[in-house]
Amino acid sequence: MGRYSDDPAWADIIPLPTDEGGPNPLAAIAYDDEYAEAMSYLRAVMAANEFSPRILDLTEDLIDMNPAHYTVWLYRAQCLFALKSDLHAELAWLNATALEHQKNYQIWHHRMLVVDVLDSCEGEREFVSRMFELDAKNYHVWSYRQWLVRRFGLWEQGELEFTRDLIEKDVRNNSAWNHRWYVVNGREEREEGEAGGVVGDAAVREREMEFAMQAIEKAPQNQSSWGYLRGIVRKAGLPLQGCKAFVQRFASLEQPDEVRSSYALDFMAEILAEEKGSEQQAALALDMLAQKYDPVRRNYWEYRKGLLGVDAVAA
Amino acid sequence: MSLVAGPGRGGALDGQLPDELQLVAEKHVAYIQKLDTRRDELEYHLTEHLRLSGIYWGLTALHLLHRADALPRDGVLDFVLSCLHENGGFGAAPGHDPHMLYTISGVQILAMVDGFDELEKRVTDGKRKIADFVASLQQVNGTFAGDEWGETDTRFLYGALNVLSLLGYLPHQRPNEEPALIDVKAAIAHIKACQNFDGGFGVAPGAESHSGQIFTCLAALSIAGELDSYLGEEGKDRLGAWLSERQLDDSGGLNGRPMKLVDVCYSWWVGSSLAMIERLHWIDKKKLATFILQCQDPVEGGVADRPGDMVDVFHTHFAIAGLSLLGYPGVGEVDAT
Ligand SMILES: [Zn+2]
Repeated sequence: MGRYSDDPAWADIIPLPTDEGGPNPLAAIAYDDEYAEAMSYLRAVMAANEFSPRILDLTEDLIDMNPAHYTVWLYRAQCLFALKSDLHAELAWLNATALEHQKNYQIWHHRMLVVDVLDSCEGEREFVSRMFELDAKNYHVWSYRQWLVRRFGLWEQGELEFTRDLIEKDVRNNSAWNHRWYVVNGREEREEGEAGGVVGDAAVREREMEFAMQAIEKAPQNQSSWGYLRGIVRKAGLPLQGCKAFVQRFASLEQPDEVRSSYALDFMAEILAEEKGSEQQAALALDMLAQKYDPVRRNYWEYRKGLLGVDAVAA
Repeated sequence: MSLVAGPGRGGALDGQLPDELQLVAEKHVAYIQKLDTRRDELEYHLTEHLRLSGIYWGLTALHLLHRADALPRDGVLDFVLSCLHENGGFGAAPGHDPHMLYTISGVQILAMVDGFDELEKRVTDGKRKIADFVASLQQVNGTFAGDEWGETDTRFLYGALNVLSLLGYLPHQRPNEEPALIDVKAAIAHIKACQNFDGGFGVAPGAESHSGQIFTCLAALSIAGELDSYLGEEGKDRLGAWLSERQLDDSGGLNGRPMKLVDVCYSWWVGSSLAMIERLHWIDKKKLATFILQCQDPVEGGVADRPGDMVDVFHTHFAIAGLSLLGYPGVGEVDAT
C-alpha cells in the first residue's frame, strides 16, 4: 500500500499513526497519503530512539514533503552526529533543499550545526551568494552569513567587497547595507578596548561616509544610504553641520519644489534644529515634509516641530 | 484548529469604496470555527507543526470579536493540555517535541481561558514545571533557545519572559526565591546588544532591524520594566521614526523592513511596537484600517496578508489585533505586549 509498508527494509517497524487527541481520530487515520505514512514510521523509530542510516532516508523524505516540521530536523541532526555521517554529503543535500525551500528557516540552523562540527566554511559563502541571487533580502540567510563571519573570522576576507557588489546591484538593499555596517563595526564591539570602525578609525570613517554619499548621488530617495550616513555621524559624534553642504544639494529650502529626497529634507531639519537661530528654518523644512513630501506621517513631523520650541509657524 | 490557507482570497468586493468598507466580523467568526473541520485536506497535516499557535491566533481573534464562546472551552483545554509534556514544555500538537514557541502559545491560551486552575488539577505542579522548562532554555549569555536543539532568537527570549510573567514566576514576582529562576539582567543585556545603528532591533547582535524582532525586543524590555529607562524619549523618537516609516503612502499598509512588501501582520508588529512607545499616532490610522479591511474575504471570512492572496488564521488574527490597536468599533481592547 505504501512506500514504507511495502519496503522490506522497514518491515520490522510497526508504524504509529497520528494521535490528534481530539474526539474524532478517525478523520486523521482515514488520511492515508505518503506524508502521513512516513510520519507514522518516524513516530515509531523515534519512540524506539533508533539512530541508523535509514533514519536519514526517512527524514530526508519527510523534509522534502514538509521542511517546516522542527521535530524532523532535530532528529535528523542527532542521527547525523551519532552515526558520524559524511557531513559534506549532508551539505550537498542541504544545498539542493535550501534552493527548493527558500522560505524555510530550520534548514539554516541545521546547516550551522553541521558547518560548526565540520569546522570549515569552505564553499559556504559561495553557496550563500547563490541564495542571494534568488532573494538578496532573505533574513535567515543573512543571519547565517553573519554567523559565518563571526565563527570563522572572515571580517577582512572580502566581506566589504561583497556588500559593495550587492549594493551596486541594488542600492536600496537594506540587508546589504546592514551587513556592511556589521562588517565595519561589528568586530570592534566584540573586542574590548580595541578602537576601530567608524568611531575609532578616521580613515575607515572617511571611506564609509564617501561610500554612502556616492550611493546617495546615485539614488537620492533611499532610506538605507541616508540611514547609513546618519548612523556614522551619530555614532562618531560628528557635528551635523559638517554634512550641511552635501545635504543642501538634495533639499534646499530656497527651492522648495525641487527637493530630491525626503530623507535629505529630514536630515536638513535636524541640522537646522541644532543650529542656533535657525529654528524657524527647521520648522519650515518639517512643514514641507508634513504637507508635501511625506504627508502620511504628518503627525510625526508635527511632533518634531513641537520639539523645536518655536511657536506655530504659519503653514 | 488548522492552519490551512484559503479557500477564500482577500479583496474588497468590486466597486466598494473605502468609506463603505466594513469589518465582516460574523464571517470571520464562522471562518475560524470552520477551520477544525478541514481535516481531510493535505495542508491540515502539513501545518500540524503549528497547530497550538493556530488555536491561540483563532482564540484571540474570537476574544477580540467578543465571541470567545465560539470555540468550546473544554475542547480547547483538552487539546492544549494534550500538547503538554512531562518536562513542562508544550509541543505544537500531541506527540510533537516540546518547543518554546508552543509553550508560549499554550500558556497564552491557558491565561486567556482562565485555565491555570484546571492545569494544576490535571498536572501536579503544572505551573512550576512549565516555568522550569522555560528557565532551562536560558543560555549563559542571557539568550533563550527554542528547544534542546539550541537555536536562539529574540522571539524565544520575549516568549520566556511573557510565559513566566503570565505564570507569576518572574524573579520580581517571587522575591523570596533563591536563586532566581532566570537571569533577567543578562536577558535584557542581550536585547540591548540587538539594537542597531538605525534605532531598530534584529534577531541577534548585528542582524538587520526587523519589525517583528522590534516587537519582541520592546515587549521583553516592557515586561522587565526597562522600556522607558533604556530608550528614553530620544530613543523612542528614533525608533518611532523608523517604525512609522514602515507605512507606505500608496496602500496605507505597513512593511517589516525598508523596501519590502506590505503585509497585514505588520499592522500588529509595527502597530503594537508604536503603541508600546506611545507613538502609534505617528502613522495614518485611517489609511491602515482601510488597508486591513481590503485584505478581508468579505464573502467567506478570513484575512490575507495582502489583497488578492489566500486568507489564513495567522493573518486573520493579526488583522483583528491591528484593528483593535486602532480602536476600530466593535473590536475589543488588546494588550500591546
Ligand atoms: Zn504576514
